[in-house]
Amino acid sequence: MIWLTWRQHRKQAFYTLLGFAALAAVLVPIGLAMRNTFSDLGLVDCVSQLARADVAQTTRETCDAGFRRFGNQYGSLNLVAVLLITLPALVGLFWGAPLVAREVEQGTHRFVWTQGVGRNRWALVKFGLVGAAVVILAAVYGLGMSWWVDPLNQAAHEGRLGMIVFDLQGIAPIGYTLFAVALGIFAGTVWKRMLPAMGITLAGFIGVRAAVEILARPYYQAARTKTFPIEGDGPPEVSRGDWILTQGVRNPDGTMIAEDTRIQCPPGGKGPDGRVCGAELGVEPGAYNWQLYQPADRFWLFQGIETGIFVALAVLLLYLAVRRIRRIA
Amino acid sequence: MVLEADRLGKRYGSTWALRDCSLHLPTGRIAALVGPNGAGKSTLLHLAVGLLKPDAGTVRVFGRSPYGDTEGLADIGFVAQDTPLYRDFTASELVVAGGKLNKRWNAALARTRLAQLGIPPDKPVGKLSGGQRAQVALALALAKQPRLLLLDEPVASLDPLARREFLQSLMGSVAESGTTVLLSSHLLADLERVCDYLIVLNASQVQLTGTVDDLVAGHRQLVGPRHDGGAVGGVAAVIRASHTDRQSTLLVRTDGPVTDPAWTVREVSLEDVVLAYLADGTTKTSHSEWGVAA
Repeated sequence: MIWLTWRQHRKQAFYTLLGFAALAAVLVPIGLAMRNTFSDLGLVDCVSQLARADVAQTTRETCDAGFRRFGNQYGSLNLVAVLLITLPALVGLFWGAPLVAREVEQGTHRFVWTQGVGRNRWALVKFGLVGAAVVILAAVYGLGMSWWVDPLNQAAHEGRLGMIVFDLQGIAPIGYTLFAVALGIFAGTVWKRMLPAMGITLAGFIGVRAAVEILARPYYQAARTKTFPIEGDGPPEVSRGDWILTQGVRNPDGTMIAEDTRIQCPPGGKGPDGRVCGAELGVEPGAYNWQLYQPADRFWLFQGIETGIFVALAVLLLYLAVRRIRRIA
Repeated sequence: MVLEADRLGKRYGSTWALRDCSLHLPTGRIAALVGPNGAGKSTLLHLAVGLLKPDAGTVRVFGRSPYGDTEGLADIGFVAQDTPLYRDFTASELVVAGGKLNKRWNAALARTRLAQLGIPPDKPVGKLSGGQRAQVALALALAKQPRLLLLDEPVASLDPLARREFLQSLMGSVAESGTTVLLSSHLLADLERVCDYLIVLNASQVQLTGTVDDLVAGHRQLVGPRHDGGAVGGVAAVIRASHTDRQSTLLVRTDGPVTDPAWTVREVSLEDVVLAYLADGTTKTSHSEWGVAA
């Protein structure tokens, strides 16, 4: 059975590895260049400096300037990162969907399921081997991406918890890839043709990923709130690496008077023509900036939860696929 | 008894593909499963090899229920319709694959057969001719050394020469091993020369089953004056009747000699019998579905 699996998929495995190697050949030099620039601009130092509470005003300004320069040079790579999050879906399309669908489409399931091993064993070995290969691939991908995207994270204020960068690195890609493959296999047992199975896999993958990302991920842990005064010196305090869910300006009684914004006025609180700071928003004395956020140190916890959700979905889909396979003739 | 089905039924949605199917296949027979397309032949074979689960009744192969019975698969060789094989595998790789997938596997037998038939070992089977591919599929099924060999329309896609060669090589190999064979076709003519047992399936039901000799001996064609439907001595049932103004031609199942001198009694061929049973009750009118007058 192992021999058969290898013989059937060796060409596919070869092309997958080839594609992977080509991707690495492009991304590794970029990653190295990015890291060189990052340290040349003194940003490594900045990261540790800014983490401290008592940052000198000048340090902060030079560091921000450095981050801006880095951002200007490599900011467009965030687009590449968006493209890279499609990789798990591709694995699902080309490894998951054909696994059962191609057998049924070509009728070979009637050959292989009537040999001495039986279809349960067939499914177990095939799913197991393909699953293991995919996990290894996804782990390499996730860790490689963590390394690659790190400078971009540091330069961006959102940090690793932000959308897209979170999805790209760590262990979450393992969950996504397993889920995509399992969804492909399951779709193949329902639609039994490769193209429809691939289409359903793609649509289902995007749907579930978006739903989890938007509806579930912000609530994995109770979000924290933080307030800032609206009067203050110097550049506004930013929380590096936190994932800000919502923010706005609230009056002392708690009513939100301006969503998705922050204001800051110099001490004394006079606007340009002598008005009170923020008067045009309807700010009352004692108003404050407010934000709801997930702190940066929850990254691995969130990665674990996200991976767990998708692995659980994958296991469920594989179980359903095995059940459906028993009914395919 | 190799294969027993008792009121076996299989349903797809609300349509019965096979219904109330009761039959026995004794050991050592070469049985033809004949019926028009869509009669339920493949469904019956898939039930017998355990690919499908019955919705009604039971099917037993060597006394075991085949669905989900991996152990029992060792005794059944199955060649599905259109002889599906991994098209990018070579014939010799398929023989290796068979060895990995089966506990009992006679690779030497398969290789010898394929060598005798002149099948190239290192060419992907997808590039072989249909006849060669069917031979590869048969060799793989025989290498399991099954006690029951099920072949679903094995010759349907072959040209007449390849058909003859395929059936000849099949007969040659099962004659030695005493394997029971059940092979299906929508054309009796394909199988008439090789089978000694017949199962006729039509409109998802068994119409006729028995040994070829009994079936031929038990049916007669009667030609005589126009028949009004009354009983005729020695006739158990009228299977099919056609009438002209003055004359009737009946195909009947006999339970004794027909002595009435009004009737001319003729022997019938197996094909006559099968056609008579197939013509019986096949006209499923669908006039209303087409919206035309019947």
